[in-house]
Amino acid sequence: MSSESKAPADQVDLGELIGAIATNRDRAAFATLFEHFAPKVKAFMQRSGLDDGRAEELAQETMLAVWRKAPLFDRASVGGAAWIFTIARNLRIDAWRREQRGGGANLAQVDLEFQVDDQPLPDSQVDAAHTEVKLRSAIAMLSADQSRVVELSFFQDKAHPEIAASLGIPLGTVKSRLRLAMSRLRTLLREPS
Amino acid sequence: MTIEHHPPETMIAGYAGGTLEHGLHIAVATHLVTCAHCRRFVRSVEHVGGNLLASLPPSPMARTALANVESRLDERTSVAVTGSTAAASIEDPATRGLPTFLRHYRWGNWKWVAPRVSMRPVELPVAGPTRVFLLKAGAGTTMLPHTHSGIEITCVLHGAFRQAGARLGPGDFDLGDGTIDHRPQIESDEECLCLVAMQGDLRMKGIIGRIVQPFVRL
Repeated sequence: MSSESKAPADQVDLGELIGAIATNRDRAAFATLFEHFAPKVKAFMQRSGLDDGRAEELAQETMLAVWRKAPLFDRASVGGAAWIFTIARNLRIDAWRREQRGGGANLAQVDLEFQVDDQPLPDSQVDAAHTEVKLRSAIAMLSADQSRVVELSFFQDKAHPEIAASLGIPLGTVKSRLRLAMSRLRTLLREPS
Repeated sequence: MTIEHHPPETMIAGYAGGTLEHGLHIAVATHLVTCAHCRRFVRSVEHVGGNLLASLPPSPMARTALANVESRLDERTSVAVTGSTAAASIEDPATRGLPTFLRHYRWGNWKWVAPRVSMRPVELPVAGPTRVFLLKAGAGTTMLPHTHSGIEITCVLHGAFRQAGARLGPGDFDLGDGTIDHRPQIESDEECLCLVAMQGDLRMKGIIGRIVQPFVRL
């Protein structure tokens, strides 16, 4: 990974912080988590097209949701960053829907649509833990190039020609990087034979 | 019964990234209720999302941001973490048996489409390019040959049908478009209930199809 990935957040054990918030309602841990992660969530919101004010608002909502949902975080089943990503993603979807239809927040509905099960069945926890171990033990998930096109295509909904233009690469390269990324993710989850 | 037909990975990735259009999102979410294989793929894309989030250059928060959030930490939320502000439709006995998240949407009434075939539309909060509806067909029905001007996704909820040599049963996710001639045959032992997400229009084929087309309201 490039040096860009050695951001402060990587040096903080997210799982421990979220665990302290869950178990002890530890406000110092929350402040540390906030300091490291809220600005990244804000950047995520801005990259998906939200202006500074909305991005700020949703980043704060995300951290508030992290505090409230911390007791549900199971570090054996999901990584801290991925868990926070899902909260941010669901809030963003809810914000888009509210913008279109008006009305109040309905994050619970979005959570339901992502199978965010607050009381998962025992066998689904085993399944989740198994998957998480495989994901973490992968030597390299995706290359930086592959991550970038995945982000632009699936997290920002940019069309392929737009991705090619903004990265200054041929359209065919965009398609082949996406293809490789999909195949990489699929391989990582292949059942042992 | 194993699920053999799944959404394309790029569609699942869009769902996991949170950018899939609402109607397609509902179709993928329906499939995921019963497909652990695709749920694992969703988890891998979410894992990528986490890595990306962690590696983003930070965007400074407002000076008062932490204090603002800290002042809300003790708020009693009107929604318990395990609860839901779902609409009253969850209590509707007619939607019993559907995946929970689907029951929270507003549903239109059942409408006749063709002999032994009826549909029930989901009322999406904002009309988009994709229409979502339940499609129910009696046991043994053969649907009239048709194709599509856009794409059609069929998620089987109950029962099964055959099409072009393949059997699609509960959990299967079929993606079709204008390059495919559809003439689905419902299996003979029970009625078939599917969730359909359709972009564009149905195009009936053949002489009978063209006579019926004006009366088929999908």
